[in-house]
Amino acid sequence: MHLVLGYPNDSCCTAVAARFEALGLSVCRLDAAFAEPARFSLDIDATGRATATLALAEDRVEQVESVLVRSSGAIDPAGWDAADHAYMQAETQAAALAWLAALDCPVVNGANAELWYRPRKPLLYWRSLLNACGIRVPDILITSNAADLQRFRAKLEAAGVPGAICRSLARHEDWLVGLDDWTGVAALQRYAPVCLAEPHATVTLLCIVGNTVIWDAEPLPAASALSEKLVQFARCANLGFVEIAVAEVRTGLAVVHVDPVPMLEHFSSAASIRIVDALTDLLAGQAHERRKEMVS
Amino acid sequence: MILVAGGIADKVTELVCSRLDACGYPYCHLDLGRYPFGYGMSAQWNHGALSGYFSGPDWRLDMQGISGAYIRFLGQEGRIAPPDLPEAQVRELQLEADTALMFVLDDLPCAVINRLGGGMSNNSKPYQLLLIAKAGLLVPPSLVTNDPQAARAFIARHGKVIYKSTSGIRSVVRPMGDDQMARLTLLRNGPAQFQAFVPGDNVRVHTVGDRLFATRIRSEAIDYRYAGRDGMAVDMEPADLPPTIAEACRRIGRDLGLLHVGIDLKETPDGQWYCFEVNPCPGFIYYERHTGQPISLAIAELLHTGGAVQPRPCQTPAPSSGRREHAAPGPA
Repeated sequence: MHLVLGYPNDSCCTAVAARFEALGLSVCRLDAAFAEPARFSLDIDATGRATATLALAEDRVEQVESVLVRSSGAIDPAGWDAADHAYMQAETQAAALAWLAALDCPVVNGANAELWYRPRKPLLYWRSLLNACGIRVPDILITSNAADLQRFRAKLEAAGVPGAICRSLARHEDWLVGLDDWTGVAALQRYAPVCLAEPHATVTLLCIVGNTVIWDAEPLPAASALSEKLVQFARCANLGFVEIAVAEVRTGLAVVHVDPVPMLEHFSSAASIRIVDALTDLLAGQAHERRKEMVS
Repeated sequence: MILVAGGIADKVTELVCSRLDACGYPYCHLDLGRYPFGYGMSAQWNHGALSGYFSGPDWRLDMQGISGAYIRFLGQEGRIAPPDLPEAQVRELQLEADTALMFVLDDLPCAVINRLGGGMSNNSKPYQLLLIAKAGLLVPPSLVTNDPQAARAFIARHGKVIYKSTSGIRSVVRPMGDDQMARLTLLRNGPAQFQAFVPGDNVRVHTVGDRLFATRIRSEAIDYRYAGRDGMAVDMEPADLPPTIAEACRRIGRDLGLLHVGIDLKETPDGQWYCFEVNPCPGFIYYERHTGQPISLAIAELLHTGGAVQPRPCQTPAPSSGRREHAAPGPA
């Protein structure tokens, strides 16, 4: 049985589950792990050998062949006292992370504590790994110093770039800073550091599924040439499924956004179909390989 | 030069500062109780390298000149803000500034106690158990479940069993008794963690780089941190670790990318060592004051010399790949 964990209205979950069914494969879709009516258990022995089980019906343990993880699971607050709900949410997320980590089958994206608790990271988080894979990122400045802000602005203006991107690192929101907005940025900066990034040209979206790069539209040759490095990045980041945006900046083509929870809505319908096919093939294929390994 | 980022009212931060003073090691203190108000930061990444500075009321510290950074982030309580700003704006500014500071501190090219990423595993105790076992230590047999039947079977198999929180939210470890057995059906509302009770002495190990400070705790209490609440005594003394256990403790810190951790071990009467948890932000002061073990001095020295600088890991290790052999207890 292939397990799809995610929000009820997540189109990716819906599409992947439908694709599994179309292929005649058993699939189960759940909003969250460790939630009724399913019964989850993780048994760890003294040497760390772990058995993760899932029972959907009384006395029947499912053979989980693969898992697509789209969210860490949210418990419905209805009927809970607020403090109890927060506690139970933390407990359920903690249990689910360990359960996924203990599975002996393909899990996309694999269980990782950093991403589990904070899945949407700013580009700053990925910067060092992108650079290590030979991929450029836009210039980023975090500063509470007015002179440094002016220097950053002057550098961009000298290169013919009229503004900047002001980025909320906590809220994952970006604002374009135009000519009239610098006063507001300076006012904010008097109280706390601001994060500014170099603006970029129109983005080209792509999705990496395993080793496959799926471009939303026909990429320019320069973007296409980046494919190998992007796959290397995804592999190093242990991301089997990731959405990336690339765009031109002053110094050339750069990655401007990385999201380990790709949204099909960002892609054309043709690209979405290819993404879902590739994702289903990846999960089913890896599960098949795993079965062969176990038999041999 | 050393950077200390923490609250002035935080006793552990205060002890580290006192130790740095006593050693004559220069440092700058970024008071997280007041930050970002009255403090400055500028950071830029050029060709992959971080450059910039931190500044305080009467100091400025170049990031390239920092040998070590000691960090203890605070909760929201007790933070001081300018009186002219509405509270909601203050919270938002603090959240944004804290997040920016976390990213910069994580990227500093020096010894950092501790980078945040490596500590995330502490939010899931069973996930962390998998990492601990991978590092070569025995762990208490554990069950995490929302299935009352599975819980009953586990308890029947192990006899004496305790229960504790699964997440990073602190809970008092308690034994399963008749009252708790009667409540097992409530597991259908959400999971709980059960562990086979492991008898023996608690041993807390603090790592500072490759240096280890082991403290044996003798108490009748199941959770010695709350022994006083239950009217029980706690005795502490420095302890020796078998070499294989010591090496496994060092390995855990390295695997998690953490220079300073508090590792909770238990030595059973038959000489087996079990590991329960790794604390990425240990309040070591309790142990240092009871035993006189020079933990804060080791931290001061590591921050001063830079130790073996651990770069920010892009990802923390996954627990599922490859498993090391388990450490057998050797001669003490």
